[in-house]
Amino acid sequence: MRILAIDTALPAVSACVLDLGAADPIAIETAPMERGHAEELLPLVERVVAAAGGGFASIGRVAVTVGPGSFTGIRIGLAAGQAIALAVKAPIVGVSTLAALAAPYVLVPFDGVVAAAIDARHGQVYVTAYGPDGRTLLSPRRVGAHEALRALGSGPLRLIGSGAPLLAEEARLAGLEAEVASRAPAPDIAYVARLGLVADPATAPARPLYLKAPDAKPSEQRPLQDAPAEA
Amino acid sequence: MRVLGIETTCDETAVAVVASRIGGDGGDILSNEVMSQIAQHAAYGGVVPEIAARAHIDVLERLIVRALDAAGTDIAGVDAIAASAGPGLIGGILVGLTAAKALALAADKPFIAVNHLEAHALTGRLTERLDFPYLALLVSGGHTQLVAVLGVGDYKRLGSTVDDAAGEAFDKVAKMLGLPYPGGPHIERLAEEGDPARFDFPRPMFGREGADFSLSGLKTAVRQEIARIGTPTERDVADLAASFQAAIVDVLVDRVRSGLRIFTQSGGQPNGLVIGGGVGANGAIRRALTRLCAETGLRFVSPPPGLCSDNGAVVAWAGLERFARGMTDDLTFAARPRWPLDANAGSLHHGKA
Ligand SMILES: Nc1ncnc2c1ncn2[C@@H]1O[C@H](COP(=O)(O)OP(=O)(O)OP(=O)(O)O)[C@@H](O)[C@H]1O
Repeated sequence: MRILAIDTALPAVSACVLDLGAADPIAIETAPMERGHAEELLPLVERVVAAAGGGFASIGRVAVTVGPGSFTGIRIGLAAGQAIALAVKAPIVGVSTLAALAAPYVLVPFDGVVAAAIDARHGQVYVTAYGPDGRTLLSPRRVGAHEALRALGSGPLRLIGSGAPLLAEEARLAGLEAEVASRAPAPDIAYVARLGLVADPATAPARPLYLKAPDAKPSEQRPLQDAPAEA
Repeated sequence: MRVLGIETTCDETAVAVVASRIGGDGGDILSNEVMSQIAQHAAYGGVVPEIAARAHIDVLERLIVRALDAAGTDIAGVDAIAASAGPGLIGGILVGLTAAKALALAADKPFIAVNHLEAHALTGRLTERLDFPYLALLVSGGHTQLVAVLGVGDYKRLGSTVDDAAGEAFDKVAKMLGLPYPGGPHIERLAEEGDPARFDFPRPMFGREGADFSLSGLKTAVRQEIARIGTPTERDVADLAASFQAAIVDVLVDRVRSGLRIFTQSGGQPNGLVIGGGVGANGAIRRALTRLCAETGLRFVSPPPGLCSDNGAVVAWAGLERFARGMTDDLTFAARPRWPLDANAGSLHHGKA
């Protein structure tokens, strides 16, 4: 089976094509960027699929990152992934950005906790953590860096992602042993593909993982006598 | 030819498949799936952009499948994919635009970016045989303008609102009257029972040169009247609704009349008047425009209310019109949250066309 993986949830646009059983993607491209994901994505996917050979008809599965990350970025990837899957009549699976960030480290022997963290600004991080056996210790959540560290236990810690320095600083303050293994702002798309190949479409739906409610304030529906005074 | 159209610029997620008829005789709507988010925004008294964007991605894929199924086809059976690329809310636009581009890429079909206002302006040609040029009155929650439709991609804005959009005025007045969002349909219903002559609300811009609109003064007058009354009775509310609607109707008719004058003065003879946008569902407005057209000998083309409010069929149709003329777009096409129909709109803004 051949999988097309897509990620636009963080400051990069990436896609790759990976065949089941192969060690590495047959075609891969990553463009780091803060803005402009929507314009970049489809031409990039077009190049990657062309480089892989076999065209879209050869795609047997689509994997897309579902977040956490930029809300708009999550939706761009999902909209593209869903549409491609629909067009080629292939199943689609969702992969968490945190799982993909942690993936290169989770199975490396380490007697401690592996945590992937994305800087969510305002001192917050999106974080998830895995124990030595690769089991999830902390499901993905959005919390303050201090609270995140408390939830990670007593170390030692191996930290990955744009939120790693924040957690490392908290660890230092708490006197815990911690190492920043990677500050990668976005996952290696090859791992998104690998996780996508082993994921079960029934349990890994391509649905957004925002981890944060939308910013929206109810409008004050005022009584008749007190009609709104805005111009 | 068949085109799949996707609309996600505001608070409706919509997908449709439309086929062209031979000989330029309009189109056949093979499917038209619309999912409104009104309930999700109602508590906020208006559209919340992030809620809208989330709702679009939650349902779009399903709607595409449904629209294809209902049309009895699949993606291989359509000739091109079109999407509204603006104007509207960027978060929502990106969902529909990206999905459309991805469908086009993976299914190897041409992609067509459609201006949402253009889609409403061209609707008259979907439902009937109507030749260019003609006049279009676009009235929705976000837009109020008069456009000379000279050809596909060739639009001249004759006038537009300098403050509130017509739908916005309906919605704001409805809110003052304690009616739910969106308020247009509620005002229309209440107005039927009210006395349109009880309150003499202003008709801003009435008789003024040019074809611009202004509606905020009218809204303010309604607010002052409510304040004066204090606690309006049911009767008062119905009369306020009726009097407000009567004022809007008068303003729209006057502005269309003025727009027609500008149209003919600039050397053209419109083949009809088309109404588009959610406010176009309003019966009183339709009746008044029907009367105006009867008086002036102009053909009035009023698409059914379902094609006036946001939907995918008009986007698919605009896509067909463009596709038939070889106008396609590439995958780098960027969303345009602000996208005037008229390339020279800036200089025309005050109706000096
Ligand atoms: N019967 C009616 N009478 C008056 N106004 C109405 C009626 N029905 C709907 N409206 C108004 O139409 C508006 C909705 O219009 P529409 O669905 O065309 O799109 P929109 O959300 O305003 O977006 P856009 O401006 O981008 O087209 C609302 O303001 C609503 O109150």
